[in-house]
Amino acid sequence: MSLLVNSNTIGAGAEEARGHSGGGALREIYDVNAQVVSVAVVPGEVYRAKLVAPEIARAARPLQFVNVEVSQGPHPFLRRPFSLSWFSAAEGLVEITWAVVGEGSKIMTQWETGTEVRVLGPLGNGFSLKDIKGEALQNADRPRLWLVGGGTGLLPMYPLAKEAASQGWEVALFYGARSMAQVMDTSRFVKAGCRVIVATEDGTYGSRGRVTDLLEPVIPELGHEDVIVACGPVPMLRSVKNLMALSAAPLYVSLESRMACGTGLCKGCAVRAAGDEEKYYHVCSDGPVFRADQVELGGAP
Amino acid sequence: MMGRTDLSLDFAGIKMKNPIAAASGVFGYGEEYSRIGDIRAFGAVSVKGTTLKPRAGNPPPRVAETPAGMLNSIGLENPGAKVAAEEKIPWLRQFGVPIIVNISADTYEEFSELGTIFKDVEGVSALEVNVSCPNVRAGGMAFGLDPRSCYRAAKAVKDAFGGTVIVKLSPNAADITAVARAAVEGGADALSLINTLLGMAIDIRSRKPLLGNITGGLSGPAIKPVALRCVYQVAQAVTVPIMGMGGIRSWEDVVEFMLAGASAVAVGASLLVDPLLPERLTRELAGYCAREGIGNPGELVGAAWR
Repeated sequence: MSLLVNSNTIGAGAEEARGHSGGGALREIYDVNAQVVSVAVVPGEVYRAKLVAPEIARAARPLQFVNVEVSQGPHPFLRRPFSLSWFSAAEGLVEITWAVVGEGSKIMTQWETGTEVRVLGPLGNGFSLKDIKGEALQNADRPRLWLVGGGTGLLPMYPLAKEAASQGWEVALFYGARSMAQVMDTSRFVKAGCRVIVATEDGTYGSRGRVTDLLEPVIPELGHEDVIVACGPVPMLRSVKNLMALSAAPLYVSLESRMACGTGLCKGCAVRAAGDEEKYYHVCSDGPVFRADQVELGGAP
Repeated sequence: MMGRTDLSLDFAGIKMKNPIAAASGVFGYGEEYSRIGDIRAFGAVSVKGTTLKPRAGNPPPRVAETPAGMLNSIGLENPGAKVAAEEKIPWLRQFGVPIIVNISADTYEEFSELGTIFKDVEGVSALEVNVSCPNVRAGGMAFGLDPRSCYRAAKAVKDAFGGTVIVKLSPNAADITAVARAAVEGGADALSLINTLLGMAIDIRSRKPLLGNITGGLSGPAIKPVALRCVYQVAQAVTVPIMGMGGIRSWEDVVEFMLAGASAVAVGASLLVDPLLPERLTRELAGYCAREGIGNPGELVGAAWR
């Protein structure tokens, strides 16, 4: 194992912050000056970049995210949150993958090897197998993890798939995209030992239909040895939640939100708690992964 | 060289070791910040706008990016005065940084009650009376648009609290200097300005307002010229010290606000983007003072009009 550490890329602020004891509070978020080591256009009409961020890579868990500075000037003002599509503590690298959807993500297409960007992370609680041990899976011979991904919602689930497969879980990925052009590369899931089933809405790749059409037939066989984690557009998450309503298997959803700080300071990324008009969770500090029955995803129950 | 520069100041009785404060609403009660940066980097911290009863806040979406800034309609989500007084403030006290408790209310009676509650809480250096929040229906900004209402709100808090009272002004008032003078007559020992400007954004795809609460408060570099103008005018209209805020993100901004008449400044929206900003601003301000032969940045205050 090689440990890639370039002292020039370590954020001085984060190192200073670590030097202070902070009154007993745990320091685990780093603002680092990260260097881009590779950036490429990959299948699915998305960009993918690897960045040197050893502190973040060491502290990261699956389904955490980072907040990335896209401009040093006053505009665009906010950082952009991106989930970690891959990270390696050993290599000191984190990877983000993004579709061009607006001003910030467009600026990021100008990145090249050597570009330095400020990256804050890891953010959010993330989600790992330890978080679901309490779900009567303890005694399962071969627990099963079912990942349901829509569009770019595939991306943050890879670290979890890898973790689960390496610990002997049976892992399957149901993945849906609009059309073949938007289908992202799933080969890393396959390499990790994950079964991959793809659907496109127009049938140009995999079977024709939505990701929920793939999930529906297996629901009757889901039980206490199964866990479902879904990530994608809210209408997709709502459909999955509705489908799973009568299943014994727990469903977790990873949410996205408009966000400012990503750290819990601003309370901007509110999501309504299920069945409680007067309670909100925050995607960054309470999530981004929630038990589906905790949060209001809109539409019919 | 830097040793000759002293950044400390006495801001209406609040002993600040540097003039950079955390603005209310971007710092919570410090718990989240303590995981990212050093709370001791701030000269003072103003906690989240606190109301008598807990508030859940407004429906999402609550934030939207706008040119060189952002809109927010958080809606004063906070755990209420009791939890703030019994749990949040005692925890925050350990850092030894002056704590300013920002309070918001719907009525003068509630303001008075809040003043009484925080009077007995150890470690509260000042109350900041929020008469300028654009995101709550009753009360909020209404107190800050009219001199008479502002006077009564300031007086209600001052009479009940007794200690240092800061009134946070709204740029949405027709004449901010009139409101500022009324706040001082009501008992304000200092003023902080500006709160956010009322604004909105519309989603052209859904053809509906983007924020769940329809309107929100504009902050960030976009509002800096407005904030600077307000500080410049208010500083000449009153004799109490001013904490200036609105789009501050560089040491040059800090110096500008001081020249306009602010003794201290606060970082708001830019702290959300650059959480380690106070450390950098303090270092760079000290560097500037050393280069210019300024013993204490207090020498700069109001120089633009003096």
